Amino acid sequence: MKNVALPMSEKTARKLALGEIVSVSGLLFTGRSRFHIRAVEEGIYPPIDYERINCFFHVGPVMRKTDGGWEVVSCEPTSSIRFERYGADVVEKFRLRTLIGKTTMGPRTAAALKKEGGVYLSKIGLSGNILRGRIRKVHGVHFLDELGSAEATWIYEVEEFGPFFVAIAADGRNYFEELAADAAVAMADVEKQLGIAPDYAFTEVNAG
Amino acid sequence: MIARKTLETAMYEAMRMAAVEMPPDIRAALVKALAEETNPMARKHLEVSLLNADLAHRGEGLVCADTGFPLFFVKAGANTHVEGGFETIRLAAEAATERATAECFLRPTMVDPLRRSNPGNNLGPGMPKIDLQFAGAGDGLEIVAAPKGGGSEIFGAFFRMLFPSDGLAGVKKFVMECIRDSCYAGKICPPALIGVGIGGTADLCMAMAKKAAVLRPVGRHNPDPLIAGLEAELLAASRRLGIGPMGSRGINAVIAINIDAAATHTAALPVAFNAQCLVGRRWAARIAADNTFTLTGEIE
Repeated sequence: MKNVALPMSEKTARKLALGEIVSVSGLLFTGRSRFHIRAVEEGIYPPIDYERINCFFHVGPVMRKTDGGWEVVSCEPTSSIRFERYGADVVEKFRLRTLIGKTTMGPRTAAALKKEGGVYLSKIGLSGNILRGRIRKVHGVHFLDELGSAEATWIYEVEEFGPFFVAIAADGRNYFEELAADAAVAMADVEKQLGIAPDYAFTEVNAG
Repeated sequence: MIARKTLETAMYEAMRMAAVEMPPDIRAALVKALAEETNPMARKHLEVSLLNADLAHRGEGLVCADTGFPLFFVKAGANTHVEGGFETIRLAAEAATERATAECFLRPTMVDPLRRSNPGNNLGPGMPKIDLQFAGAGDGLEIVAAPKGGGSEIFGAFFRMLFPSDGLAGVKKFVMECIRDSCYAGKICPPALIGVGIGGTADLCMAMAKKAAVLRPVGRHNPDPLIAGLEAELLAASRRLGIGPMGSRGINAVIAINIDAAATHTAALPVAFNAQCLVGRRWAARIAADNTFTLTGEIE
């Protein structure tokens, strides 16, 4: 498995192939819905050096408070497609080259990543406990009291953090967009086998 | 008489076990799917998921960090007596959920829907959700705790009021479109357990779908041959979509399609779809009238 240093360089990002399996090492920050909405709509975001901490991990971890700080109990990537409304704005605002999450992101975010020379990495299987074991240090947390532990922004230092696969490459190609197109073709055959007419239409109950 | 303390402990233990142990029937189904898949990406998704569950079993994490909605399904018998009456079940569920959250077996995930405020204990109006059913002449309680993940609930819940003129073809089309849309990008974390409700009122229809997805053991089919045939036909069709585990283009996007039906209005053909993710979290506590209880991953 290829390991990529964070912050990811544009040159490295542009070399990653769609579907390639990778891990990352370095610093990242976390967030989910509230991060996106607040950063774009309200201009409120954690005071981080985004040039240095340039990887945005979509996650709401389970965290345990310890004597000396924080321990990650488990951290399963969350569904990134929920953030598509704000994805491109966030990539552009913070000049992000690495997004990590689950599912996919839409065409606006893909276009922003293409422009910045960045990639979107999606999770492989359920991996929250494997990922937990790859977090070397919890460097801090922002907005914990306001947002709670799941929506707060945590800063993690990670080593060979993965596995993930390249679901949106730096050339804008989207793995799941291509799969959806192929599934649509398969769907037509499957419907035929199930006896569903090609021109089948559900009953319409609104006039006009 | 079942004591409040017994209920609290049993509900907490069932929720804790659900958070850290993959049920045996689900694990067996994933192992079977792995043996069948030849696509390297499909295999990788399944291998990583099984390893992740093994880590949770060894005390190194949770089956999934999104512990989601805290649900309790409770079955009581005609002779079941609970200290303080049945209201105690709700109080015990709240205490169990709060404790499991404080001990990091549940992530504080439940928030006010409009204010988005998070009390930090997974309690709130309607949560934890309790489904209480009365069945048989027994004097015990069977409790199934199911922390239901966001992915499967948020991206895997659909309802459509079809009409008699939409026919069986309409039911099939609706279910297949739901499977495609919820599985292709790994949204509901496939291989998923698909629950389908047909008939009833809208809320009964969705409740049937949820219970079929969350509670039915893998390998059990609807006793009505017409419905069992539909389950088998749709499962076979799902394997030909080219979606597979987490959208890997493999075979197993779906572990099982579980359909339940209820009588409905002569004008209507309601259909509901609810998915459960590949970890299929649920654990049962069976409480006897003498206040002893057993915990099991085998659901009856």
